[in-house]
Amino acid sequence: MLTPILIVPVLASLLCLVVRPPRVMAALGVLAFSATLGLGIVLVQQVLARGVVTEWHEFLCADALSAWMVLLISVVSLATSIYAGGYFRREVAAGAITPGRVREFFVLTPLFGAGMFLVVLANNLGVMWAALEGTALSSVLLVALYNRRNSLEAAWKYVILGSLGLALALMGTVLVYAAASKNNPQSLPSFNWSYLMSVAGQLDPHLLKLAFVFAFIGYGTKAGLAPMHTWLPDAHSEAPSPTSAMLSGVSLKIALYALLRFHILTTACLDSGFSRYFLLGFGLFSMFLAAPFILVQRNLKRMLAYSSLEHIGLICTGIAMNSPVTIFGALLHMGYHALTKPVLFFAAGNIHQTFHSLEFRVIGPGVVKVLPVTVLLMGLAALAAIGLPPFGLFLSELTVISGGLATHQTTVSVLILVALLASFCGILQQLTRILLGARKPGDRASDARRMDGVPAMAMLMGGLLLFSVWLPAPLLELLHRAAAIIGGAP
Amino acid sequence: MNPIQPELASQLITLLAAGMLVIQLLMVVQAMLLTNIRLFAIQSLLLAGIAAVMAYNHNASHVYMIAVLTIIGKVIFLPWLLNRLVQRIQIHQEIEPLLNAPTSMLICGGLTLLGYVVARPFTSLDRLGNNTLAIALTLLLTGFFLMINRRKALTQVLALLTVENGVMLAAVALTSYGMPMVVELGIFFDVLVAVMVLGILVYRIRENFDSMDTSKLNQLKG
Repeated sequence: MLTPILIVPVLASLLCLVVRPPRVMAALGVLAFSATLGLGIVLVQQVLARGVVTEWHEFLCADALSAWMVLLISVVSLATSIYAGGYFRREVAAGAITPGRVREFFVLTPLFGAGMFLVVLANNLGVMWAALEGTALSSVLLVALYNRRNSLEAAWKYVILGSLGLALALMGTVLVYAAASKNNPQSLPSFNWSYLMSVAGQLDPHLLKLAFVFAFIGYGTKAGLAPMHTWLPDAHSEAPSPTSAMLSGVSLKIALYALLRFHILTTACLDSGFSRYFLLGFGLFSMFLAAPFILVQRNLKRMLAYSSLEHIGLICTGIAMNSPVTIFGALLHMGYHALTKPVLFFAAGNIHQTFHSLEFRVIGPGVVKVLPVTVLLMGLAALAAIGLPPFGLFLSELTVISGGLATHQTTVSVLILVALLASFCGILQQLTRILLGARKPGDRASDARRMDGVPAMAMLMGGLLLFSVWLPAPLLELLHRAAAIIGGAP
Repeated sequence: MNPIQPELASQLITLLAAGMLVIQLLMVVQAMLLTNIRLFAIQSLLLAGIAAVMAYNHNASHVYMIAVLTIIGKVIFLPWLLNRLVQRIQIHQEIEPLLNAPTSMLICGGLTLLGYVVARPFTSLDRLGNNTLAIALTLLLTGFFLMINRRKALTQVLALLTVENGVMLAAVALTSYGMPMVVELGIFFDVLVAVMVLGILVYRIRENFDSMDTSKLNQLKG
C-alpha cells in the first residue's frame, strides 16, 4: 500500500513530460492525487488494524502519524491540481506565462508531492532528510516559475536559507547516527526509526541533545518557525498561487513532521522536557511575531503567509504543551488548516488574475462587487482561519487552550489566546477593508470571471464544514493514536 | 588486508582534516572566483582521502564507495559545472567580500575556537580521529560566515558546498562505518541536484538583473 502512494505521483510527473495538451497534464495531476487520497484512506484502515504498516524490509514504514500526514498531503495536492488547470489556462491566455513553464509546473508538482510522501513514509532518518531536501529543490523551481525579478529574489532566499537549514538538519541526523553507532561499535547499526526508538534509552544523551539542537534549527527553518521564517513570506507571496497553497497547506507541516520525529526520539532518550521547551519557545515566538506583521502588510499573499506562521506556531505550542488533549488539538489543527489555507491562496490567485496586483491599495476596496463568489468563499475561509465557530479551527484552538488549562499551564494558554486575538483582529481588519465596501469611483468594470477556480475552493470548504461537525470514528481513532505517538507511547 | 596501526590512521585523519580547515581559511581570504572553485575541489579531495583511510582501516567496502562518489561528484563534476557556469555568465572579476581579509581571518579564528569549545565534551569518544568533530563544526561555522561575507550568488553556492563538506566530514569521522549506503546516495544526488538548481537560478538572476550581486535582491521586505 505504501509503494503505490510513492509511485503514482512520480508516474504522473513522468507522463507530464511527454503529453502535450495542458488539459491532459492537469487531469493527470488530479488523477494521481485522487488515487493517493484513495490509497491513503486504505492505509488509514490498515494502520488502524495493524498498528504499523511496513514494506520493502521496513524501508518504508507508516504509523498513525504518517497516515495522517499522507491524508493531508493528498487532499491539498488534489485541490491544488484541480485549481491549477484553470489557473494556468487563464495565465497563458493572458500572456503572463509561457506554455513551457506550465509544463514545468505540472512536472514538478507531483514530484513535490512524491517527495513529501517519502518524507512521511521513510523509516530511515537519513532517507527522510534526503526526501525533504528533494521537496525543497522541486519547490524552489516552482517559486521561481514566473521568472520575474521578485520571484527570483524569493526563490534565491528560499533555496539558500532552506539549504543551509537542511545542512544543519543533516548534521543533526549525522549526530543521531553517531550516537547509535557509538552504542554498537562493532557493526553498521540500523538507521531505522523503529530501531532507534527501541534503543532510545541507551543513546548518549549529550550527543542527542546536540543533534536535536541542530535538527531543530534546520527543520525549523524549513517549517518557517520564527526567527528563521524570513524566507516564508517572500516564497509564499511570489510563487504561483497553486504552489503557495501547497507550501502553506502542507509543506510547512511536513518539515514540522520531521522535527517531531527528532522531538519524540529526544524525549524518549532524555526522559525530560528538553526538546519540549524549544518547541514551546519558538512556537509562541512565531505566534507573537505573526500578529504585528499581519497588521502592517500591504500585500494579500504576504499577509496570508504570516497567518500561516501564526498557525504553525500554534501547532508547535500545542504539541509542546504535551498533554494528550493539546497534542490531539494540534494535530486536528493541522488538518483544518490544510483545508482552509489553500482556499485563501486560490482566492488570492483569482484576485491577482483580475486586478493584476496583490497590493491592497490597488485591489481594494469592494472586491466583492467584482468577484462575488470568490469573495464569499474567501470570506468564509478567512472567518475559519481566524478561528470563528462553526468552523473546525475554532474547535481545535479551543481544544488546545482547554487542554492547557486542564493541565495547569495557565500562562501558556493565556499567551496563546492573546496571540490568537491579535491576529484575529489583524486579519479581520485588513480583509474587511479590501473585500467589502464600494468600488473606487471611476474604476473600470472588470471582466468578472465569476466561477473561476470555484470547484477546488468549494471542495475544500465543503470538506472543512463537513469535518467541523462530523469527525468519522476511524479518523478520530487515528488522531488519538498519532497523539499517543508524539506523547511518547511506544 | 592488514589494517594499519590505529594511531597512524588517527594521525592521518587528523592531518587531512586539518588540511580541510586550512583550505577553508584560504577560501575566506582568497579573492579570485576560479581559485576558490579549485580550493573547494582540493578540500573535497582531502575529504575523500579521510573516507579512504577510514575504509581501509575498518575494511569496510561501502566507505570506499563514499570516497569514490566524493571524487566523482565534488572533485570532478561540481568544479567542472561551476567553471562552466562562470564562463557562461562571463564573470572573472574578483569576489567582493563585505569585510576585508584580516578581519575575516580574525573572525574565523574565533569561530574555530568556538567549534573546539562546542566539540570538547565529545572528544573523548573512543574512535579514530576523535577530534574531527571540532573541525567539522568549524567548517560549518566558517561556511556560514563565508555565506554572509560574500555578495555574489555563485560564491554563496560555494559557501554552501563547504558547509556540506563539513557535515560529510562529521558523517565519515564520527561513525565508524559511515552512514548506510542508501543515505549516502541520497545525500550525494541531493547535492548534485541542488547545485544544478542553484546554477539555473544564478543564470536566471544574471539574465534578469544583469548582475550576480545578491545585495541587489532587496525588493521583498517585512
